[in-house]
Amino acid sequence: MTNLVAIDNKIHKQVRIDSNKAELHGAELHLIPVVLSEFVNLAVQYPIVLTKNGDTGQFICVAMLGFKPHENLFWQHEQWQGLYLPLQIQRQPFFVGNVDVKNTEQGISSQQVVCVDFDSPTIVENCHNKNQGEPLFTDDGSETEFFQQAKARLAQLLQGEVTNQHFIEQLNELNLLQPLSVEISFINQEKTRLNGLYTIDKEKLSALSEQNVFTLHQAGFLEAIYTMIASLGQIYALIDKKNKRLEEK
Amino acid sequence: MNNSIKTVVIVGGGTAGWLTAGQIAARHNQKTADLSKQPIVKVILIESPSIPTVGVGEGTWPTMRSTLIDLGISETDFIRECDASFKQGAKFAKWVDGSDDDFYYHPLVLPQGFAKGDIAAYWLADQARSSQSESFSNSVCFQEALCEQGLAPKTIRTPEFSDIANYAYHLDAGKFSAFLKKHCLENLGVIYISDDVTGINSADNGDICSVITKNNGDVGGDLFVDCSGFSSLLLAKHYQIPFVDCNDVLFIDNALAVQIPYPDDESPIASHTISTAQKAGWIWDIGLPSRRGVGHVYSSRHTTEHEAKQALADYVGETVESLTFKKIPIRSGHREKFWHKNCVAVGLSAGFLEPLEASALVLVELSARMISEQLPANREVMDIVAKRFNETFLYRWDKIIDFLKLHYILSKRSDSAFWRDNRDPQTIPQSLQDLIKLWSYRSPADLDFTSNNEVFPAASYQYVLYGMGFQSRYEDFSPSLNNWAFAEQQFVQNKKMTEQAIANLPSNRELINKIKEYGFSSI
Repeated sequence: MTNLVAIDNKIHKQVRIDSNKAELHGAELHLIPVVLSEFVNLAVQYPIVLTKNGDTGQFICVAMLGFKPHENLFWQHEQWQGLYLPLQIQRQPFFVGNVDVKNTEQGISSQQVVCVDFDSPTIVENCHNKNQGEPLFTDDGSETEFFQQAKARLAQLLQGEVTNQHFIEQLNELNLLQPLSVEISFINQEKTRLNGLYTIDKEKLSALSEQNVFTLHQAGFLEAIYTMIASLGQIYALIDKKNKRLEEK
Repeated sequence: MNNSIKTVVIVGGGTAGWLTAGQIAARHNQKTADLSKQPIVKVILIESPSIPTVGVGEGTWPTMRSTLIDLGISETDFIRECDASFKQGAKFAKWVDGSDDDFYYHPLVLPQGFAKGDIAAYWLADQARSSQSESFSNSVCFQEALCEQGLAPKTIRTPEFSDIANYAYHLDAGKFSAFLKKHCLENLGVIYISDDVTGINSADNGDICSVITKNNGDVGGDLFVDCSGFSSLLLAKHYQIPFVDCNDVLFIDNALAVQIPYPDDESPIASHTISTAQKAGWIWDIGLPSRRGVGHVYSSRHTTEHEAKQALADYVGETVESLTFKKIPIRSGHREKFWHKNCVAVGLSAGFLEPLEASALVLVELSARMISEQLPANREVMDIVAKRFNETFLYRWDKIIDFLKLHYILSKRSDSAFWRDNRDPQTIPQSLQDLIKLWSYRSPADLDFTSNNEVFPAASYQYVLYGMGFQSRYEDFSPSLNNWAFAEQQFVQNKKMTEQAIANLPSNRELINKIKEYGFSSI
């Protein structure tokens, strides 16, 4: 559960965040939403695919962390064993919320504010322990560098959501998606069929007109498409991780 | 002179006209790469601006999904613009003995394992031995449970036109017709003339060479499709093709329809047609996203219009005075043939039957598809196509009439003359009597229906027969029931699928709302 509270430099002056604990938020995720601007970092370890949002049926870009719900194969010994931590995890415990504010000219308008999830394990319980975590504000109430970095990550995510949406619209429009159909056998003979995952249809990609290729390139989507295709090889690394885990048991 | 079929003229709009125009245009009028090789067929539709469409059929069959795919229509657009919702079969209430808890389902999903083996016999044997009370459709199919809980046949993540449970649609026929018209004109190159047809010019061989319109002169063509509704301008009025009345078998001859608003925007939408038997007919109840369409079809030989209105008002919980009734006379039957010379009738101009199994739109789809797929290359072969078309559809009409009658003869109701008269052997076609005799010893099987042109599969007969308590006496044949392991496996599998489906499917209303907000993906 989350308990989001808008941040105020007076009320939250004493709050300290231990960002080392952010990764606890991903301990049980098998798919994590990702944005285009981090594809290159992700592709080194994670398969990047698409799935459908359970609530809306709309496509979203995700990195695979495991093969079934609650299975994060990068989570070992109470730690995230990965070179790159996806932005959705890094951003913890910060969120963007909308609040209605009274505006003298336009009446009531909605404004975006930064919120903190006060149920997050990153919140340092004992705020007088100066050895743990980072404060959000300096003594004079201005934002610390730590908080500014956190806000920059939120901005990257927000911008990323817009870009992702354009990206997915383009993929849909050009019919470039296809279901990812893979049957995997693990070392213990357990079999799994990947369901509800989608990837780039390479045949359709290579049949694109010059104009469409150019449009994709201009939008920066061509790179993302090829990064996604290349990242699929990481499924084998993921199978390997799963097999190792099975052997340990 | 080259007498190839280059121009098809469709007289009449409505769902029949636009579906036929769409099917022909989508197949023959597409701007394909090798345009030079493909003969392009011009499709012209003439629609009267003064005659309103009847708007028959708010229920479809699952075939409508492939029809929409053929026409290149998106399911999301269709559902949004035609006030459509999902239909997973029909619930027949009070058909067997008229008591309050009397109901059975004719779902659209085939019995579990039907492709591999028939488990109806095992269900019957089980029932005879252990007096187990699980209904036939609940034992062999998971769809009744979905309908009873108002669940949708898929989720927002299921690609368009794909399903988790087989489904058809309920739709607003007026909106559907307007939607098809727009699609035919904007995307399929159908030529539209809004005018009244006032006469016909004949060729020497008796063919129609053109129709005369009020304001647009003569419109010529090689093939004329009569979609003019009950008036049957070309086939009946011009060619005088006789009508084959079947009111000696099916007594329904009138319909009274009303539209009922929902209590609020979030009221559940039933995902099945509800048919509730009355003293002299039955009431349909169809849930669209924005309203319910409810109607009483009855036999005027067995009740009065006044009583019929009262029964409908009682059903919807209103007074007769507060309702606006639309009355539609039903003349059950069809033309003696449907394709004559260079004219073929589709829709009400070909015939009509009570909407008990939603046969109106499916017959339009089947006709449109056959005309489009078998479009004669030239006039020489048209008579051959016409003969085959007539044989195919006469067979289909007969089969539908038999299947509708089946619902009536299995009833045990004797509370009114309507139900007693319906069981009079004089009124039961011989073909149906023969099948019933066969089925008193074994369950309906695919081999009972060997034509390529079957409309109802053996499974449909099973659902109706065993839903209505019909007994096939297997005791003499019980040694032949030698695959209990397979049957048990299917019953267990069905239970499992029922649980899974209930746990994962949203309500019909919830899914419709999501389609309106987000839409389906194509994959």
